[in-house]
Order: sequence, then structure tokens, then C-alpha cells
Amino acid sequence: MEMDLSYQEKSILGSLLAMVIVYGYYFANALRHAGESEFGGGAIGRLIFAVIAIVVIQIVYQIILALDSKPEPKDERDVLIECKAYRNGYFALGTGAFLVIGGVIMAVLARDAAPTRIIVTPFLIVNLVLLFMVLAELVKLLTQLFYYRRGLR
Amino acid sequence: MSKGRITNNVRTLRFHRSEMTQQELAEKVGVTRQTVIAIEGDKYSPSLEVAFRIAHAFGVPLEEVFQYESSDP
Repeated sequence: MEMDLSYQEKSILGSLLAMVIVYGYYFANALRHAGESEFGGGAIGRLIFAVIAIVVIQIVYQIILALDSKPEPKDERDVLIECKAYRNGYFALGTGAFLVIGGVIMAVLARDAAPTRIIVTPFLIVNLVLLFMVLAELVKLLTQLFYYRRGLR
Repeated sequence: MSKGRITNNVRTLRFHRSEMTQQELAEKVGVTRQTVIAIEGDKYSPSLEVAFRIAHAFGVPLEEVFQYESSDP
């Protein structure tokens, strides 16, 4: 079955795939280094590599897309869908921030009970915050795809 | 607040304008072809401004293009 995708949908799909691939690789890597406590040289290097990879993939994909299909400027429907998507993304980011703050507070409170088992490290916090930022962006992109397919009624 | 339903005759009006294409209507109105497709499929209710522009493109009053069906008894 062939799906007739609009220019905006193709653009969003590209962003979605780039994020899943690059951050999937980044977080798989971060899990392998889960024992680290500081967010130091190696970790910063991996994060910079991920950001650069996303930017490069996005630029190359958008150029190919623009050459392959005629770019369409956004109209009121695109903007409305984007607004709804940002609302959901903001909710996801807010929930993530709440969970990280709550988790840190709980860990600090429980530290006295189990000092060697519960360790909140900069490495863990930076990666958790980054994870929720990525999840929020994924929620935003998936919401856009959902409304483009289902429509706004 | 009960929700009504907005229907439209865009497809029929295009047919009566010597099969005006979706792309031609989109260009006249200033939206993308995808938005015209969504309007025709009742998947999107346009803003009042775009609704007026569509009616203007066909040269008919707004009520001839869009109809509101209230769900109230």
C-alpha cells in the first residue's frame, strides 16, 4: 500500500528517524558507561558527536528532500498541528523534569538509609535530563504525524 | 458545549468550475494542496479567513461552500 506523504510529513519523518538512530546509539553508549560518575571529557565528546551527527543528517536529508519534492511553505493547518504538537511535547518535558527533580529529592532523602546503594551522579542527571528532552521532541514529532494522518476535526 | 459538524461542498464546486484542480484552488486561496485535500475530506475546518477566501475563489457566498450542522436537538 503506497502512502501519499506531504512534504511536511516527509520532513518530520526524517527528523524522527535521525533522532531515533543518533540518540538510540548515544543512549546505548551511555548505558555501557553507566558506571561513570562525572560527566567528563568522554561523555561530553559523545554528546557533542551526537549533536553534530543530528545536525549533519538533518541538513543532508532536507537538501535531498528539497531536490526530490517541491518544498511547500507552512500554512495555517501546519501551524495549528505544530501548536498541538508543542503542547504535548511541553507536557512530556514538564513530566520528565518533575520526575528528575522528584527522583533526586527521593534519592537524597533515602541516602541515609542506604548510603552505598543510591548514588545520584552528574552523569546520571545529565543523561536523564537529555533523555526527557529527546522524548519530548519525539512526542512532538509523533503528534504532528498523528494529526497529519487523522486530521483536525 | 455541544459540538456541531462543519461540512462543505468544495469538491462539487471545483467540479462545476471546469474541474478546477486542488492545486489551483490551493494557490488561489494561499494554502497547501494537502490542506485542500483535508478540507474536502472533512478532516480540517479552516479558519474564517480561509473559508471566506475559498468562497471568494468560487465567487459564491460562504454558506454555499460551508454548512454547520448543530448536534443540538
